[in-house]
Amino acid sequence: MTAATAPLRAPARWPRTLLIAALLALLAFAIFGPLANLLLWAFAEKWYFPSKLPSEFGFAFWRRVFNPRGDALASLGTSIWIAVLTVIVSLAVAIPAGYALARLKLPFRGAILLLFLLPQAVPNMPIYVNIARVFYEIGLNGTVIGVVLVHAAHGLVLAVWIASAAFAAVDASLDEAARNLGASPWTCFRTVTLPLAAPGLMASAIFVFLESLDEFTGTYFVGVPDVTTLPLLMFNASQGGNYQIASITALLLLVPSIGFMLIVERFLKADVLAMVGR
Amino acid sequence: MRFRLMLAAAAAAALSAALPVAAQTTLNVITAGDQNMVEYITNYLGPKFEAMNPGVKVRATGTGPGDSGSQKIYEKLSAQQKAGSATWDTDVAVVHQRGAATMVGEKLLMPYRNDVAAGKLVSRDTAKNALGANVDGYVLPMFHSQIAFAYNPDLVKAPPKSYAELTEWVKKNPKQFGYNGVKGGMSGVGFVMGWVSANSGLGDKLEKGPYAAGDKATIEKSLAGLKDFNQNVVMTPGNAGTLDMLNRGEIAMGPVWVDMFYTWQADGKMSPKIKLSLPQPGLPGQPMYYVIPAKAANAALAKKFIDLAESPEVQADGIVKQFNWYPGIDPQYVQAKLTPAAWSKLFTDISPADLAQYGKPFPLSEYFTDIVEWYERVVLK
Amino acid sequence: MTGLALIAPALAIVVAFFIIPLGISFALAFRAKDGVFTLAHFEKSFELYTTDLVFTLEIVLLSSALIAIVAVAIAGYLTLGENPRAVSVLRWLYRWPLFIPFVVTGQVMRTFLAKNGMLNHVLIGSGLIEPISAQSMLDWRGIVIAFVWKQAPFVTLLVAGAMASLDRQHIEAARNLGAPRWRVLWDIVLPQVRGTVLVGVVLSFVTMLSVLSVPLMINPNSPTLITVDVAYRINTHADYAVANALCLLSLLVAAGGAAFYLRHAVKGAEAAS
Repeated sequence: MTAATAPLRAPARWPRTLLIAALLALLAFAIFGPLANLLLWAFAEKWYFPSKLPSEFGFAFWRRVFNPRGDALASLGTSIWIAVLTVIVSLAVAIPAGYALARLKLPFRGAILLLFLLPQAVPNMPIYVNIARVFYEIGLNGTVIGVVLVHAAHGLVLAVWIASAAFAAVDASLDEAARNLGASPWTCFRTVTLPLAAPGLMASAIFVFLESLDEFTGTYFVGVPDVTTLPLLMFNASQGGNYQIASITALLLLVPSIGFMLIVERFLKADVLAMVGR
Repeated sequence: MRFRLMLAAAAAAALSAALPVAAQTTLNVITAGDQNMVEYITNYLGPKFEAMNPGVKVRATGTGPGDSGSQKIYEKLSAQQKAGSATWDTDVAVVHQRGAATMVGEKLLMPYRNDVAAGKLVSRDTAKNALGANVDGYVLPMFHSQIAFAYNPDLVKAPPKSYAELTEWVKKNPKQFGYNGVKGGMSGVGFVMGWVSANSGLGDKLEKGPYAAGDKATIEKSLAGLKDFNQNVVMTPGNAGTLDMLNRGEIAMGPVWVDMFYTWQADGKMSPKIKLSLPQPGLPGQPMYYVIPAKAANAALAKKFIDLAESPEVQADGIVKQFNWYPGIDPQYVQAKLTPAAWSKLFTDISPADLAQYGKPFPLSEYFTDIVEWYERVVLK
Repeated sequence: MTGLALIAPALAIVVAFFIIPLGISFALAFRAKDGVFTLAHFEKSFELYTTDLVFTLEIVLLSSALIAIVAVAIAGYLTLGENPRAVSVLRWLYRWPLFIPFVVTGQVMRTFLAKNGMLNHVLIGSGLIEPISAQSMLDWRGIVIAFVWKQAPFVTLLVAGAMASLDRQHIEAARNLGAPRWRVLWDIVLPQVRGTVLVGVVLSFVTMLSVLSVPLMINPNSPTLITVDVAYRINTHADYAVANALCLLSLLVAAGGAAFYLRHAVKGAEAAS
């Protein structure tokens, strides 16, 4: 390449690339800065003014959290188990509901979609008190199923809205083709529609899973003392200013969350996300 | 195929939810307060008790710090009472004074003090009176805590000895004092109580009574000064918020719970050089109580558990030595079990005389409510 | 008929485990101690908490607007960006806050945004500000930052998905004609994904109204969000009546957002298939 034909873009590209790199770095700081704090507190044994960083690092608090007599690991297991069950229950009811909302003509469609939004819309402590009372009466208190139902009610907005979008994104003409070939509605659903909508359904599973891991108020009222979850421990530690324990439990909860994300990464399809809530 | 997997999982879930718990007696202890209270029961009291009572497992759960923690316990017991359950799922609870007062009022607790040997070791008023409510027989104090000013001696050469001195100090050192108002923690509430006590002229009447609704006007006037005071201070997010800001050196002084303060120092979150002091006419303190729900499933075991927790040995070794907290039972029984050095560690910054003179109970609950409500009306507007 | 039968289980769960207890709460908001109907609790709510109600609305609206801007900006770059490495880095980067629960967000923001927190340390260390002018962001700004930090990735995910499913033809055509990318974003891409942006914003708006942990950890002192006042009435005064009244008022605010959603984002039943 002679000097005359050297790409004219080259001089103009550097400033732009630098700008993009700078913006990305800024974004990375905005995202990872607060998270770095989390990491620091998880391993800090001594940290107070005027030190800008912990003056002593160590695993003392990890030993406290994982104390054999304590049940951090059991709580983690319970939390994951409850989250998984919540996903199963949510999907079980959201799949038919999503299909109906997407494919069938329903009156008050908007109002129904909105109804699922309510559990996320209100400060929920007083509501859970009422739920606890009813659960004690019918004996659902202290059971995993009780907690799962409460989590499901809270997360259904995501399951139903995203399931509805997933079904709406499946080309209706494929259904018609299958029916024309003689398939019954159930076979058509099972072999054509559902597999095509599956990626979107997996996405809704992730969000419901994450919501369940974030929930502690309902879990306390309906589950304690028989059912204890790690988010409960995290909230109490956080409120008491026990940052080390709160950070360690947050890191623990990050593991299943990210694990799920890596799974869903493969399934999230763009056209599904386009139809959420419509 | 996926469908069948889901069905199988659902069936497994239903089964697991129906599985009975292993056959062994479990003593359920629910405690408000910080995580270290849960660990105290799980790691210290629990094993001791289980060694004394084979076949029993102690299970501890925490509900979080502050009155919100106690409120959560109240709500669970109340829900079970309203549902008419035959036995309740909690055997022992550890709650604050307001929670205990409410629970006794609604008949959620079982009287047990006379059935427990350690019941004779407590003679303080706090064992009978919780913010004006009669709780005699229903409670035993686990430990006593006190609100005090924590200050950085490098920045505060001479801590203010009275509220008037404090007001002058914050004018000269703006934004160096912090407290949490009335939301987010009782240390701020206690500070406001102390302020009213100092500035209203009502003095002891707030704690001893009798309550007079006409005092509202006096309280309102004394709070007007607090509004100006707040211009020169930092409002913190809560008990932990005040300690937090002290930790980062953002404030030089603030009201804290002595038990939280010592716990933070032990956890490496507070510089060892921070000191405590009590101003005149005083700041409130309160105990946390052991209580037994009225329909506890294992009442007899619960009483044995509390007896162990209130024994002089456990109070000396657990409460004083481990946590550096003021004991729940009368001090002379505990002092006998400790070396003089260990005992005097409790009084490094605040002498027993100061504590006796300036450590006060919280006001009667009617005054308490008045003060807090007028704070919202006068100071927050 | 089949339609309603298919929806019934999902509706049953929400109705049984939330709507009915919610209804009980609202009924209690109108009941005096002796069972008589009264508006006294609402009067008290307005007397003490009007500032906080207005503040809540302002904060949540501001956060929603910022979330929309951030989401569209990031999603826009993911769709129209021409530097493949930057696009893939961005795609990996922006999702992280999705996995952080609100309560952890509140806590990390508290230590990050404090006067002597990490943000100020970095700003001072890099010489951008003087130590003396370091500010604590633990007021309304901290709450907004925490909300945007946590919710923007979720909305970005939705919007990026919507943008990715658009027909590239229009975009290519416009670019070939020399239109700058921001123009393409504003005139061509955005109008087509408007619905999804609204859905994401409404979901965020509504969720932010119910979060307690973030304002509690960052700034529970007046003015603050209504959730803090609800918790305060319950924990300090055992005043469920006013707490329930505040919940109802909060729901009315959410209903405003919901009405917006109904009008602008939902396609009619005819258009659904």
